[in-house]
Order: sequence, then C-alpha cells, then structure tokens
Amino acid sequence: MLENPFQETLLSRHRAEPCTVVIFGATGDLTNRKLIPALYNIAACGDLPPQFKVVGFARREKTDEVFRAELETGNRKNSRQGHNDELWDSFAQCIHYHRSEFEDPAGYVNLKLLLDQFDQERGAPANRLFYLASAPEAFKPILEMLRATGLNEGVGGKWARVVCEKPFGKDLVSARALNEVVNATFHESDTYRIDHYLGKETAQNIMVLRFANALFEPNWNSRYIDHVQITCAENLGMEGGRGGYYDTAGALRDMVQNHLFQLLSLVAMEPPTDLSADSVRDEKVKVIRALRPLVGPEAVGKNVIRAQYTAGSVDGVPRVGYRQEDRVNPESKTEPYVALRLFIDTWRWQGVPFYIRVGKQLPKKATEISVHFKKPPQVPFATSNLIKNSENTLVIRIQPDEGIALRILCKQPGQAMNMQQVKMDFRYSNSFGKASPEAYERLLLDAMAGDATLFARRDEVENAWKFIDEIEHAWHKAANPPPMHEYPAGSWGPKEADDLLRQDGREWRLL
Amino acid sequence: MPASSLNESDLGRLGLETPISRIDRELKKLWESDEAKTRASLINLAIYTEDSSFLAADNDLLDRVAAEHACRALLILALPEAQPPRARAWIQALCRPYQGRQAVCSEQISFVLEGGDAAQVQNIVFAHLDSDLPLVVWWQADLTKNFHERFYSRIDTLIIDSARWSDPSRQFDALLAAQREATARFDVRDLAWTRSHLMRTALAGCFQDAAALQNLSKLRKLTITHLKGQRMTALLLAAWINKRLNTTLQLELVEKDSGHALQSLVLEGVGLRGEVRRDCDSSFVHVCATCGQHEHKELLPADADSDAELVNEQLSRRGGSTLYSGMLPLIQAML
Repeated sequence: MLENPFQETLLSRHRAEPCTVVIFGATGDLTNRKLIPALYNIAACGDLPPQFKVVGFARREKTDEVFRAELETGNRKNSRQGHNDELWDSFAQCIHYHRSEFEDPAGYVNLKLLLDQFDQERGAPANRLFYLASAPEAFKPILEMLRATGLNEGVGGKWARVVCEKPFGKDLVSARALNEVVNATFHESDTYRIDHYLGKETAQNIMVLRFANALFEPNWNSRYIDHVQITCAENLGMEGGRGGYYDTAGALRDMVQNHLFQLLSLVAMEPPTDLSADSVRDEKVKVIRALRPLVGPEAVGKNVIRAQYTAGSVDGVPRVGYRQEDRVNPESKTEPYVALRLFIDTWRWQGVPFYIRVGKQLPKKATEISVHFKKPPQVPFATSNLIKNSENTLVIRIQPDEGIALRILCKQPGQAMNMQQVKMDFRYSNSFGKASPEAYERLLLDAMAGDATLFARRDEVENAWKFIDEIEHAWHKAANPPPMHEYPAGSWGPKEADDLLRQDGREWRLL
Repeated sequence: MPASSLNESDLGRLGLETPISRIDRELKKLWESDEAKTRASLINLAIYTEDSSFLAADNDLLDRVAAEHACRALLILALPEAQPPRARAWIQALCRPYQGRQAVCSEQISFVLEGGDAAQVQNIVFAHLDSDLPLVVWWQADLTKNFHERFYSRIDTLIIDSARWSDPSRQFDALLAAQREATARFDVRDLAWTRSHLMRTALAGCFQDAAALQNLSKLRKLTITHLKGQRMTALLLAAWINKRLNTTLQLELVEKDSGHALQSLVLEGVGLRGEVRRDCDSSFVHVCATCGQHEHKELLPADADSDAELVNEQLSRRGGSTLYSGMLPLIQAML
C-alpha cells in the first residue's frame, strides 16, 4: 500500500484514513445528541479523516436533505464547540440517509452499492465502520445481513469494523449469543464495544495517575490501602420516558456491569506490559475474573443492598417514588439503587473491600472513585484530637468537575498540636483552560484509527455478566431473595447501605 | 535604548508596580485580598524581549495564553544599552471566570531591566519561578549576549519565531550551537513552523487517495503565497515538502501586503495539481486536488495564527519535534 508522505507520523495521534461510518438506528436520540455532534466536533478540530462519509441507516422514509436538517437542529443544541454554518454546510455534504428495514436483505444490497459508489467517487476504496446504535434486539439481524452481503469484509485492503452500543446483552447467555453473532461477522480485533465512561478524560487519567507517578503505585495495595469506594450518583429519576427501558434493566445491569466495573478494573489492574489494546485489556479482565463470586441469596444479601426510592424531594423539588414513575411497573422488582461490597482475590488486593454504589434520585450528580489509605500504625501526637475519618484519601472525580484531590492531615497553626484535614485539589477546568473532548469524540476517533484500548473485549463483557448473573439470580430466582430496601428520593440511599460499611467500621464518603 | 523611550501607558497596563524585593509579599496580598480567586499554575512561562514596542502586545498575549494554560507568567523587557542601570517590576493577576462566581487566576510578574547583563536577567528569572514547574521561554530577541549557557541550560522548552529574525542564518547557527552544548536540554518550538501546521495537515488530506499518491513523483512546481515578513514560514514549509517528496521542486514565493501568514500553496505537475487556500476572511482552509479526471474538494478548519494561539498550540503539545529538528540542516541550505 502506498504511504502518504505528507502524513506526519510524529503527530501525537494517528490521523485516521478515509472512512465511511454507517450508523444503524440513525433517527434515534443517540445519533442526534451524541454521534453527529461528536463527528462535527472532530471535524471542527480538523481530525476527521479526509473524504469522510457518514450514512444514516434507519426505517423511516426521508431524504438526505431532511436528515441533514434534523441533524443540524440537534447539532446546534448539542455541539460542544457551538455550531458554525460554513463548517456545517461542508460537513453536511458528507452525511447521507439510507432507508431500510433492519431485516431487509435488499436494503443491505443497496447500502453496499451506495458505499461502492462513494469509493468510486474517492477514486479508491475506503475503510468502513458500522455503528450499531439501534435497539439491542436489532443487533442480530443487522450483523447477519452485513455478513450475508459481504459488508463485514474490507475492500481493497481496507478494514471493516463494528461498534456496538450498550447494553451488550442482559445476562451472560444473551451476551454470549450476541458475541457469537458478532464474532461470526467481524473478527474480535474489528469489534469495538463502546463504554462511554472509558472515553472520559479522568477515566483515562487513572492509568496515568497510577503508572506514571512513582508516588502512588508502591502504595497501591492491601498493605497501604484500607478500602476503595466508587460512587455514581444521579439526581434524576425516570424523566423523558426512560422508565420503560430502565425497569427492564436496573442499576446493576445498567451501570455496574459495564461502567462501574470498567472503573473498578482501571483502579485495581496490574500495570500492563505496554499500552497496546490487548495488554491493557488483559490486565483489566484479570480483575473481573478475580472478583470473589457472590453465590446464593445469603452471600448476596450480606454484600449487596438493593433499593427503590420512595417519594421525596431533590433540590427542593418533589419527586415521586420509583414505582409511581412513568412507564415503570407499579409492582416493579427493579432496583434504581444498588450498593455492593466486593473483594478482589489477588495478592495486591487481599482483604481490601471495594464498595460500589450507584443510584437514582440521590442528592447530586457525581461520579467518583475514592481510595482510602490506612491510618499510620502509630501517630506520635495526642490522639484525643485525631478526627474521624482522618485517613489519607485520594479522590478521582470522574464527573462533573473532573479532577483529583488528596486529603491529608496538617498541624493547625497555634501552640497546641491540633491536626486538621486539608485538601490538595487539582481541577481540570482550573489548570487546563481548554475543554476536554466529549467521550464520544475520543471513542469514535479511536475506532476509526484502530485503537481498541478504550473498548470492552468479549471476555471482559462475559466475565462481568457471569459475576452479575449470580446476584440477579439470587434476587429474582431464589426462594428466599434478599429484600428490596427503600430510601426517600433526595437522600443518599437506604440505611442498609450505610450499615454495609458501618459493620466494617467504615462509612460512605460524603460527596 | 534610553529609559525615556518607554511608553508609560504600556507600563501602566502591567499592573501594580512593586519593588523587586517585595514581589512575593505583594503577590500574597493580591491573593489574600479576594477569596473568590483561585491561583493555578502548571508551568513557568517567560517572554524575553529587548524591544519595548512589543511590551503591550506581549502583555496581552500572556493574558490570552494564561486563559488556556495556567502559569506563572514572567514578562521581561531587557534594555541592555540603557543607562543608568535600573530594574523595575509589576505584578498582576490574569483571571478568567469559573463557575460564575469564582475566578481562576495566573499571576504575572513583569520586569523592565535597563542596563544590566546576562547574569542579571538569569538571576531575575530564576528568583521568581514557581518551583518544580517546567520553564518555557519565548526568546523574542536575537540569540546573542543574554542568551547564555547558564540561562538556557535551565530552560525546558525554548520558543522562537524564526520569521521575526532579521538574520536567520546567524540565528540558526547560534541555536544549533546552543543545542550542541552538553548542558542544553531544551526542546525548540519555532512559531514559524507551527504557522505552517494547517497547510501541512491539509496537504496530507489533499493527496490521500491512491491515484494521487501514485503520481506524486510528477510534481514539479511549488508556489507559496505568504504575508510580507513571513518568508521564513514559507521556506520552512517548502523545505518540509521537498523533504517529504525527497526532491527539490521549483519554488516560487509570492509576497502579499495583507492577509494570513500563509495564504495559499499550489503543487503542480503533469496531470496532478493540489491547492490549499485560505481566504482572507475565512476561518477555513479550502483543499482541492485534481488527478486526471478525478477532483476532490474539502473544507478544513484553519488553525488560528495569532501569536497567542500559536503559543497556546505549542504549550498543548508535549515533547520536542524531531520533524522540525530534521528540517534545520535543510533550511540552512535554503537561506
């Protein structure tokens, strides 16, 4: 293959080669709110591959012009860097619409003709990226049709890849079945399972923090770390009709299996041998495999607290209870809140609990990881004034207000040897005036450039489901399932979740 | 330069005049006086100039750069020939709003050093650095006299703008000599090179397809239109193109009195033509490539090319540019 001598190989990231992105489910919310604004912002940064095309594939009848106009409206509302008419006009020329049912073979034959026509216009074949942004039940027919028409194979030495949106299955069986279909169509190395948490700047920074700073890694083990907390709090409920989907999933499947396990892996993984996608993912999957299984209702009841919110208020605004939410079953057994105590059975983490909590209608929106270090074995000062929770804490704020804070003890000024907690605080927004790219910008560029580091691999997904399934089984299939607890909307969760830590002599960090 | 040639209104914009010995105390007061201000700093950024007419522009530039790169900013105007020797200093906070109520601020210390020598400059700079942070220096003067080994051996990143140099050949010699010193550890960032970034990027997109790539050896002529005073920028771009094509194209430089630093680039050969053009009033670059019957057009965002934006761009990058270093022998041959 001819090399372009003007491509500067010394740029910080490889510029992707000419590419066509086909979005399945292109009339959906994700395309309008996230994908097209992300591509537009990539274009605004000058990082879009030359001769780029995007094809929206969906069932509704519409023309290119109508599709572009709809996306323009969405982009004006959602673009991170605002909307420039001149740039949009140029960018919009690369957007096309292709109407077809997902199960209609003729639709895929026509799609192939369209992509071939683009290649002809370019004068050479281009790479093809198929983005599955449709409802999950459509993944299978789409993939089968792609295979049947040969669209899963690159043309003229170019690649064909697939990006799968979450949820990737709803349990181990369905994830495996989906993986079988995906891998029968695309090679695993061409499969990109997206988890947008991994595209967030602070999530990427976890590896840098751990492995580029000699300060932390020697202390990053059970000898010095008392416990780790991962919190993902949302101050919203089931607004915008989300209850319909959410009530079939719940916090454990919707958040813990993917986003929070990804964060857990980044915090707990061993240093990878290099930064290749597989080296990083090899280490991450080891963490999930090493999670001590929670088998049976007793183990689950002791270590996992599930709860539903009752009526309450958030920010002074009254909120209804979970079962009264729009499109939620009034008899629902789904949990909008879950707290877990996990153990990772490795040398590094033996005996260190990882507490995870995620919930809706909590007092504020915040995702963070806090690493709580052990107290010094002996403090040579008067212990009477040692304050509660005086251990050193490293907080990694994922969103909002991305940054890192370190809590340490200092002597208060004065004659007495009194100690006071102080916080060293690094905020991305203070130190770096430039806004970080949206997670989808980073992930789309990575998929086009062939870097799968920030995407989940098959074994990661399946091992995560394997662990989660045991808990779901205890909740929904056991004769004596652990109870569903309650908490008022606007509180920090059920009392039982506080007790989960209290029985270990710890408490949740107040965010 | 006599002290009287300093423009007092320019000096007035530098903030609060402070005796040099009281700078730290006055800075502390500055932060204590307003709790809504948060101080942030990731680097020490010093601008060194020997031309008082740049003082106001450099002051504005630091304000814009600090909005993206929190720093301890040092602005140093040295007037080695001025008598009697005198050193004056000013402090100010460079703030930008954050979350409506608070302001995130960098601090700027400005010096006017009349008379004095290399030792005075380095002492002043080293005494006012934010410790443990990298030192980035934009050296706007000639690389002579005060650009001394004791000084540059402590610099992490040296920013220059070779387009400003009146005698580029001598200056490149001085730069290379400094780089050869065992103690030198600085990366060089040339703003003239950064200015050509969008043209280089656009050119890569221009000849992306296979047919064009197969015919690159047919290219014969290169025409670059540039703003008056940006010849060095155009030459760096031409040298890079020759290097990438491993040839020496017939070069024509067209100079304009107004417009962007680099305005157009045309590469021509039999059956193949590539053009990258940036119109005066546009913030985009038009790319057009023709290979036989096939024509490809593209619109790319243009990099902003004000000095502040070029410095911001450089500060966003990490590591030196081996690409630029590799260009230096070539460019010296073209001067």
